[in-house]
Amino acid sequence: MSNTQELMKIQDLSVEYKTRLGQVSAVDHVSFDIYKGEILGLVGESGCGKSTMGKALMRMIQPPGKITNGQIIFDGKDIMTYDQNQMRSFRGNKVSMIFQDPMTSLNPVQRVDEHVIEAIQVHEPKTKTDAALGRAEILIQKLGIQKRRMNSYPHQLSGGMRQRVMVGLGLVLNANLIIADEATTSLDVIVEAKLADQLRDVREEFGVSLLVITHNIALVAELSDRVAVMYAGHIVEIGDVEPIFDDPLHPYTKGLLDSIPTIKLNEKEELYKMPGEPPNLTHPPSGCRFHPRCPFAMPICSNQEPTLKEISPGRLVKCWLFSEHAEKADTNTEVSS
Amino acid sequence: MSSSLRRFLITRLLLTIPMVLILVTMIFFVMRVLPGDPIRSQLGPRVSEEQADALRERLGLNRPLYIQYFDFLWDMVTLDFGNALTQGERPIKDELSERLPATIELTIPAITLTAVVGILSGAFAAKNRKKPVDYGIRLLSIVVYSIPIFFMGLIFQIVFSVRIPILPLSGRMDTLLLTKFESITNFYVLDAILNRNWPAFWSALTHLVMPSITLGLALSGVFVRLTRVNMIEMLQSDFITAGRARGIPERRLVYKHALRNTFIPILTMLGLQFAILLAGAVLTETTFSWPGVGRYLVDRIQLRDYTAVQATIGVFALFVALISLLMDVLYAFIDPRIRY
Amino acid sequence: MEKTKLNNDMTSSAEEVPEWLLDLDKVGFVRRLFLARKWYGGDWWFVAISAVLLIFIIIVGIFPQWFAPYDPRVEVGPSLLAPGETPPSFLLITPLDSGDIRMVDIADKTNNIGFIVGSAASQAMRETVDALNESAPEGVRYQPRQKRYETLDEGLQSLANGEIDGFIVSPEELGESLQNYTSLQVANTLREEGEKGFVFGTNQIGQDVLSRIIWGTRIALIVGLSSAVVSFLIGVPLGLISGFAGGPFDRVLTLLMDSLYSFPGLILAIAIAAVLGAGIGNIIVSIAVLYIPTYYRIVRGQTLSVKKELYVEAARSLGTSWKDILIKYIFPNVIPSVVIIFSVNVGDAILTEAGLSFLGFGLPPDTPDWGIDLARGQDYVRRAWWLITYPGLMVTLVTLSFSMLGESLSEILNPRLTER
Repeated sequence: MSNTQELMKIQDLSVEYKTRLGQVSAVDHVSFDIYKGEILGLVGESGCGKSTMGKALMRMIQPPGKITNGQIIFDGKDIMTYDQNQMRSFRGNKVSMIFQDPMTSLNPVQRVDEHVIEAIQVHEPKTKTDAALGRAEILIQKLGIQKRRMNSYPHQLSGGMRQRVMVGLGLVLNANLIIADEATTSLDVIVEAKLADQLRDVREEFGVSLLVITHNIALVAELSDRVAVMYAGHIVEIGDVEPIFDDPLHPYTKGLLDSIPTIKLNEKEELYKMPGEPPNLTHPPSGCRFHPRCPFAMPICSNQEPTLKEISPGRLVKCWLFSEHAEKADTNTEVSS
Repeated sequence: MSSSLRRFLITRLLLTIPMVLILVTMIFFVMRVLPGDPIRSQLGPRVSEEQADALRERLGLNRPLYIQYFDFLWDMVTLDFGNALTQGERPIKDELSERLPATIELTIPAITLTAVVGILSGAFAAKNRKKPVDYGIRLLSIVVYSIPIFFMGLIFQIVFSVRIPILPLSGRMDTLLLTKFESITNFYVLDAILNRNWPAFWSALTHLVMPSITLGLALSGVFVRLTRVNMIEMLQSDFITAGRARGIPERRLVYKHALRNTFIPILTMLGLQFAILLAGAVLTETTFSWPGVGRYLVDRIQLRDYTAVQATIGVFALFVALISLLMDVLYAFIDPRIRY
Repeated sequence: MEKTKLNNDMTSSAEEVPEWLLDLDKVGFVRRLFLARKWYGGDWWFVAISAVLLIFIIIVGIFPQWFAPYDPRVEVGPSLLAPGETPPSFLLITPLDSGDIRMVDIADKTNNIGFIVGSAASQAMRETVDALNESAPEGVRYQPRQKRYETLDEGLQSLANGEIDGFIVSPEELGESLQNYTSLQVANTLREEGEKGFVFGTNQIGQDVLSRIIWGTRIALIVGLSSAVVSFLIGVPLGLISGFAGGPFDRVLTLLMDSLYSFPGLILAIAIAAVLGAGIGNIIVSIAVLYIPTYYRIVRGQTLSVKKELYVEAARSLGTSWKDILIKYIFPNVIPSVVIIFSVNVGDAILTEAGLSFLGFGLPPDTPDWGIDLARGQDYVRRAWWLITYPGLMVTLVTLSFSMLGESLSEILNPRLTER
C-alpha cells in the first residue's frame, strides 16, 4: 500500500527562535521525505519542535523565529526560494493546515460558506461565487456536514464539525498535503476516532498526503502508514508504523512506547516513566541530545552527535547504538554535525 | 430578530437602570452632602438670613434630604428640572434642549474622526509591530494623548485664525448671519440646509471645523493605543494563522479578518470613550466659546447656580447611559455570537 | 562566575547566541538593565528617555528656585513682552528751562503728563509711577494727571505752550521731531536702554512666563503625585478585597465602580471641586476620586485570575490565612500592572488638573499654575502666542513623560495589559 513517490523532501531544515534567554534551536538540521498519498505521523513530547516543524513546512514561522537552514523541495522546486506571492499561492493550493483548537481556528464573524468562498476566490479569482459555493457544498456533504450548515457561524458548530470544515477548506483547493497539527487533541475520544476515520477516508478518496502531528502515539498507530519520532528538535527514528511499534530501536522511542498506558497492563507491570526532563533548547546537551536521559548512554553519546542512519529499507535511526562501532568513533573525528 | 437577541437587549436595558441610579445618587451626594452651602454661595454673604431661608423654602431645600433626593429622581424621570436660579430664571429644560444639539453637532464629527484616525493607524501599527513605523505611531499617539485639549485648540486658533486667518476663531456662526438665522432643530448645519441658507451653512460648517478636529484628534491618541493592543492580540489568534495557512493575503487578513473581529472590543471602547469625549467637549466648548451643554455647565458652576448644575450633570449621566446602551445594541448586531 | 568571552570553536549551532545575550547572565543588575535595550528595542529607549525627563522634571519641581530667574508672582517687566524682546525705552520730554528733572519731580497730583493715545507710553508711565510710590515715604502718593494726545505734534505743542509738565514718548516715535521745538529737551529716560529681555516673554501683568512655568512644575507634581497616591491607597485594597472575597460585596462594589468609571471624569471632578471650593487639597481629592475605579478594575481582575492559580489553591488547602494569601501570594502578582497604572495615572492627573484650573476651578487665581496661565493666555490669543505655547508645552511634556513611561513599561512587563 505504501507509495514511495516523494511529494515533499525536507533537507537539513533548521528553525531557530530568538528569545530573551537565548537562541532556541527548535528544529535542528532535520531531513525526511513525505510520500504521495501517505499518512505520516510525527510524534514527540510537547516542546520537542514538532509544531514548529509543521509551520516551517509552510514557511509560516513568525518572528522571533526563523528558518535558518535547509531546503523544502516540493514538486521538484525548493519552496525556500519562493517569493511572497508564490508562497501565498503555495499555501492552500498545495499544502494546507488544520490546527489544534477548532474553537478558534475559524473566523468567528464569518459564516462557513464565506470561509470556503474566500478560500476559493483568493486562489482562483475568476471563479464565480455560485460556482464556488456549488463546489463547496459537494465537498462539505462528502465530509458529512449537512448543506444547511453552510450558513452557520463557527460558534454554532460542534468541535468535530469545525475540524471537518477545516479539512474541507484544505481539500476544496485540491491541496496535495494536509498538515494536521494536534488536530484531534481537543476533541473528545469518540469524535477523535471519527475524525481519524474521516482523515483516512479523505486520503483514500482524494489521494492527498497527510502529516499528522501529535503527542498521541496511539492515534499514530491507528492512523498512519509511517511514523517519525522527534526529540528535542531532531528526528530520532523514522519508518513504517508496524516495524517501529513492534520493535522500537531508539531508546527514546522505546521509552515513549513503554509509557503508554494500556488496558492489558497487568498489576505487576508498572508504567514506564522516562527519567529526567526534556532538555532546555537554549543550551541543548552536547552530542546526542537524548544522552542525559538514555539508559544505554555510552561515553561517545555525550561527545558526538549520531547521524540518522538507514538500518533497513525505509527505517532510519539516529543513535550510536546502531551506528558502526561506537567505540571506534574516538578516532573518527569527521562525524558531521 | 431572534428571541435571544431580544432577551439580550432587554437585560441590557434593565442593567442601565441601576447604572443611571448610581450616577444620579452620586451627583446628588456630591452636590448636597459634601460641605458647602449652595444657597449661601449663590446669594453671597451680604444677603440676610431671612432672604436665604426664603430662597431655600422656594427651592424646597429646607425639606428632609431623602425627600429632596426623590424629588431629584422624579426630575430626572420627567426631565423637568424647574427654573434656573440665575439669568432670568429660564426653565433649565429649554436651555438644555437648545444646547444639547450644539454639543452633539460638535461630537459627531469628532468621534468619527477619532474612530477613523484611531482604527486605521492602530491597525497599521499592529500590523508592523516592533518596526520603526509602529514606534513612530505609538510615540505620536502618546504625544497627542498628552496634549491638553484646550492647548491644542488654542494652538489651532493661533495658527489657523490669527496667523493664517482661514477659519473663524470661535462660536457657532457669524454673529451677523445669526441674527437672521432661524433655527428649527438647533443643529445649525442641518438647519441651514433645511432653510436653504447657504451662507449660513458655510459659516456653520467653517465654525465647526476647528473645534471638532481638536476634540477628535485629542481623543484619537487613546484610541490608537487601544486599537493597536487589541489588533495585536487578534493577529496572534489561531484563525489568522489558519487563514495564512490557506494562502489568504496578509492585507486581507489584517484589514478584513482581524479588524472586523477587533470591532467588537473597539465598540466597547468607543462607548467608554464617549465619557471622555463629553469631558473633552466641556474643555473644547470653553476654548471655542461653543454654546453647548459643557459650556453651560461651566458657566452655571461659576454662577453657583446649583439647580442648573445638578440638572446638567444629571443629563450627562443619562446621556452616558444611553450611549453605552446604544453601543451594546450595535455590538449585538456586529457579533453573531450574541445575535443567535 | 568567571567572565569568559564567547569562543567560536564551540561547534553546536545552538551556541550561536549573540554575545550580549550571554553577557546578560554574568553581569550585575545595572548593566543588565542597560543591555536589555537590545532585546526590548524601542520600548527600552522610550523608558530611558522618559525616565531621564522625569528625573529632570522632579528636580525642577523640588527646587524651582534654582531654575527660575524671577519670583513668579511679582511683576518684573512691562506686560506682554514677546520672548527675547527687550523692553522699549521711553523718553521724558520737558521744557528746557525746567533743567535736569526726573519723573519724581513732576509726579504730583497737580502735574500733567502727556503721551500719545494708545501707545505703550501710558504703561511705561504707570510702571514708573508705581515704582515711585513703592519707594515713597509714608503719606506721599504720586499720581500725575494723564493727558492723551492724538498726535505727537499736538502733544509737543502743548508742552511747549506750558499746558503740561512733561511728555512721554518712545525714541522711535519721537524721531527727529524735537528739532522743531527749540524750547524742549530730552530730560530723562524712563527705562534703561538695552535692559535684558525675558526668554519666554512676560504675561499681561508683567510676570516672567519662564519663572511661572518653572514654579508651575511644583504644583503639577504635587497634585499629580498626591492624587495618584490617594487613588492607589484606596483603589488597590478595595480591588484586592473585592476580587478575593467575591459575593454580594464584590458585585455591589463592581457596579458602583463601573458606573463611576463610565462617567466623564472631568465633569465629576468639576462638580466636586466646585462644591469643595478652591484649594490644593480639594483639587487633589476631586482628582483622586476619578482614578480609584481604574486601580480597582485592574487589581480586581488580576486578583480573580491569580486566585484560581493552583499554588494559591494549594496554599489555601494547607490552611494559610486569607491575609497571608492576599499579601504574600496575590499582591506581588498585581504589582507590575499597578506600577504601570500609577505612572499613567500621574500623567492623567496632571492633565486633569490643568483642565480644572483652565476652567477656573480648583486653585487660587494667583497660583503659578499652567492651567491658570493658559486660561489667562486665552484672552490674549490674538496678541501673545507665548502666553499659551509655553505653559501648554510644559503640561504636554510632563504628561508625556509619565504616560510614555507607563505605556512602554506595559509593553515590556505585560504585553497583554489593555485598558479595558
